[in-house]
Amino acid sequence: MNTINNSQHDHQEPRIGVYICRCGGNISDVVDVERVAEVSRHIPGVVVAKVHTFCCSDPGQNTISQDIQAEKLDRVVVASCSPFLHELTFRGAVQRGGLNPYLYEHANIREQGSWAHKHDPAGATAKSIRMIAAAVGKLQYSTPLDQIRLPNHRKALVIGGGIAGMKVAADLAGRGIPVLLVESSGRLGGRLNQWNRVFPTDTPAGQLVTKLLAQLDANPLVEILLNCKVTAVTGFVGSFQVTIEGPLGPSGAMTTTQTTIGAIVMATGFKPYVPDDGEFLYKKDPGVVTMPEFIDLMRGQPTGTGELVYKGRTIRSVAFLHCVGSRQIDGVHTPRADGKINTYCSRVCCTTTLQQAIAAKERFPSLQVYDLHQDIRTYGRGHEDYYVRAGKAGVVFFRYHGDEIPRVTPADGKRPAEPSLHITFKDYLTWGEELTLDVDMLVLAVGLMAGDIPDLINMFKLPVGEDRFIQEIHPKLRPVEISVNGVLLAGTVQGPMNIEETLNAAGAAAVKASAMFLKDVVELNPYVAQVDTDLCQGSGACVTQCEYDGAIAMVETQVNGKTVRQAKVNPGLCVGCGACVAVCPTRAINLNGWRLDQYDAMVDGLTAEIPEVAAATS
Amino acid sequence: MTTQLHKTLHEEMHFFGGKDVDLCMNCGTCTVICPLARDEGGTFPRRIIRLIQTGQKRLLVKSLDPWLCYYCGDCSENCPRQANPAETMMASRRYLTSQYDWTGLARLFYKSALMEILAIVLVGLFVTGLFVWFHGPMVLTLPVQLNTFAPVKWVELGDWIMAGTLSFFLLTNAARMVWNTLDGKQMFGISPLIYFKAVPVFFDHMFTQRRSRQCGSTRSRSFWLKHLLLVSGYLSMLVLVLILLRWFQTDRIYPIYNPQRLWGYYATLALLYPTGAFLISRWRRKEPIHFFSEASDWIFLVMLFLTALTGIMVSLARVNGFPMTTYVIYVIHLSIAVPMLVVEVPFSKWSHLLYRPLAMYLVSVKKAAAAVSLKTQPEAATA
Repeated sequence: MNTINNSQHDHQEPRIGVYICRCGGNISDVVDVERVAEVSRHIPGVVVAKVHTFCCSDPGQNTISQDIQAEKLDRVVVASCSPFLHELTFRGAVQRGGLNPYLYEHANIREQGSWAHKHDPAGATAKSIRMIAAAVGKLQYSTPLDQIRLPNHRKALVIGGGIAGMKVAADLAGRGIPVLLVESSGRLGGRLNQWNRVFPTDTPAGQLVTKLLAQLDANPLVEILLNCKVTAVTGFVGSFQVTIEGPLGPSGAMTTTQTTIGAIVMATGFKPYVPDDGEFLYKKDPGVVTMPEFIDLMRGQPTGTGELVYKGRTIRSVAFLHCVGSRQIDGVHTPRADGKINTYCSRVCCTTTLQQAIAAKERFPSLQVYDLHQDIRTYGRGHEDYYVRAGKAGVVFFRYHGDEIPRVTPADGKRPAEPSLHITFKDYLTWGEELTLDVDMLVLAVGLMAGDIPDLINMFKLPVGEDRFIQEIHPKLRPVEISVNGVLLAGTVQGPMNIEETLNAAGAAAVKASAMFLKDVVELNPYVAQVDTDLCQGSGACVTQCEYDGAIAMVETQVNGKTVRQAKVNPGLCVGCGACVAVCPTRAINLNGWRLDQYDAMVDGLTAEIPEVAAATS
Repeated sequence: MTTQLHKTLHEEMHFFGGKDVDLCMNCGTCTVICPLARDEGGTFPRRIIRLIQTGQKRLLVKSLDPWLCYYCGDCSENCPRQANPAETMMASRRYLTSQYDWTGLARLFYKSALMEILAIVLVGLFVTGLFVWFHGPMVLTLPVQLNTFAPVKWVELGDWIMAGTLSFFLLTNAARMVWNTLDGKQMFGISPLIYFKAVPVFFDHMFTQRRSRQCGSTRSRSFWLKHLLLVSGYLSMLVLVLILLRWFQTDRIYPIYNPQRLWGYYATLALLYPTGAFLISRWRRKEPIHFFSEASDWIFLVMLFLTALTGIMVSLARVNGFPMTTYVIYVIHLSIAVPMLVVEVPFSKWSHLLYRPLAMYLVSVKKAAAAVSLKTQPEAATA
């Protein structure tokens, strides 16, 4: 029988409490929890083993806290559900009992026990015992840990001066947080400078920009850098070292500035989908334009004229085609250069199209307006009104199926007054009949694509989703945070959003950033790598292996009066992945809370000869 | 084959009363709610609205669906967009009437009420003129000698000339309807036996309007009865003035219980009561079918009402011994009745007396023909 090695604690026998949860029957209907408790009491180091119906309930937690006092426990195991649910709950209970919260282990005997093996109660019981033995084994080597505390520089950087970035900057500065707003172009407002009136209020886009500009101008905490770019970043949450280049000075020289930042908000926006040359005759026929181009040409029409004129041609009929560059189907649409298609819905194009169709019809009443859609997705408040109004205005709707892309062919064009384009498609509002529309102009309602920010993606190690947009940690629970600590997302950098949604996201990012500045220090999880300076021989294998810039580096240090090169971990940047631990030839690096000796003890625990387990599995 | 679209079709429908077509979003609630769209494979009103919206004139002209709808108004009541499908169906019937008519007069009358009134006035003046210049001696002694003033053989001749004229127009228009809906070529491919076997369907629907009884919940129960009464009234009058005129227009005064007088009074009441009720309903917008009235609807009802009213006045004046009154009202009566028949039957609203049963007949023929071709060429039918 392997005896569990507790040499590290031979100065004092550990006193471990094990609490086994019935989970109201979820566990105890399969696992014989009383037997598990009985066997657990015989594991070396365990002084208390109790069963509770709901360990997570107040009485359950109180039992743990009180036992720590009464039984002088110094470590605790709870065998219950997944640690995702209640690890933090029991850490809290342990802390209230007066122990370091990291002297706690969680054994998942529900998801990995009773639920996984509900037809094998004996096996589930044996497995639960082994998992508790492993947890007890690991716990014997646990040491008290503290959250890592790092200085927090009270200043935010917002990258991108569109509507999202402006909103974040205005909100942060409004809460007294200094903000640096960096915009690569010469003007704030971003895409809104391109638009005319924006749904659902038909407010002039410029008005929104002007209002936010006034807020930014009024607040001395906002520093705006136009024509500037973030070119390098080092450091970590609370103290990023950011290098910004620009603006182009009168001498033509760029200036480089460096600044220390506590939190960063990415608000770099999107770019409109640009059709391939020849896609729906784009760039081949002058009558085919994208939605941004159409908005632009509508803006450029002289007032008081009764006819829409484009490139010297009178436009009598116009068709709007939805879903260009959105909701693409594998095998039907041609992939982009990166081999991907845009399967997502761009969300803004439907309402924009209806809004523009109405605007065109109201401005030029004799204009024939057609709308070719897969679906009308006017999902937001007030959006459906555009659909109703478009119908009333005389817009004629057609519905095609996504896998039957409308074909656009040029008319012979012998007579300039005749429509220049034939659009042939199957209309599923008309029992799938193949129809041909003759129009003078085709407007492609192009979708939204992720912006071109490869430098920033590399610099920040931004997580890029399948759709090329930057991906949040959790779309519902953590919608503006990403896996890079201290970097937040605002607006369409994250995916297609309309202006309302963008401003909501920007507001959320600003609140998250503000919350980071509530404390003077940044508190981080203690599970980071630690170098044992007695063992490190300075091979450098860990630095080569590490994927996180600056997380580990070779430094010169004094050992016994001699200068040696040893690895040094930057706890602000280390994510605790353990890659360095695996490659160290001298086992000189360990992850705090998950050290190698703890793994050894867990393996010993799992393989220990426990008579009860032997009986169950024989 | 791809269909070319007529961009102006939905605008043109405005002239025929289809003013809310653009509001439709093609949800199909109207078709689901319609109790008549279920049999005969009909998918109206949505299909008809869609044809109008997209400008598929060829398919609209070919369609029989408008005639299969009897306008209960359930679809309009349940339309989530207030697009008024029932009235669109009505408008499409007017449109089809104008499309079947090769003279272009129907189209002219629907587009301009003024032209319709003008045509009625002109024909009316023509009839008045005939009497002014060619009437017989006006005997002012009793009993009233109407047959001296307007000899029955001449009136009968006039009746037949008029009936022949309007039948010519109505039947040629109906032939165009058959040609349109059976696609020309298909028409000759169908066995004559099928055409023959379906004939009872025509008369069944002509005399009973059975389908209209299946109409939805908003239709009043008495509507069908009133309509049936109206049909019996004008068919009676048709028989009395065309076939039995020599028996009907007499100078001798029969007792009140004599069939000559009883039948005449019945026919008069059968015309007056429903037309009067419909006029009131249109005026007060009582029933969904009467919510929207185009000029053509008013003209038809007013003319029919006046015809019956003047007819009974002729009878009353004669029986009660007012010779001059009888002669004058007789001229007025014919100056209303003749233009009404000449204008309304082939070119306007009254043509539905033929188009509706004919549509049911054609649906039945098509169904039978399709069943035959499915039996003989199953591959072709499924392809």
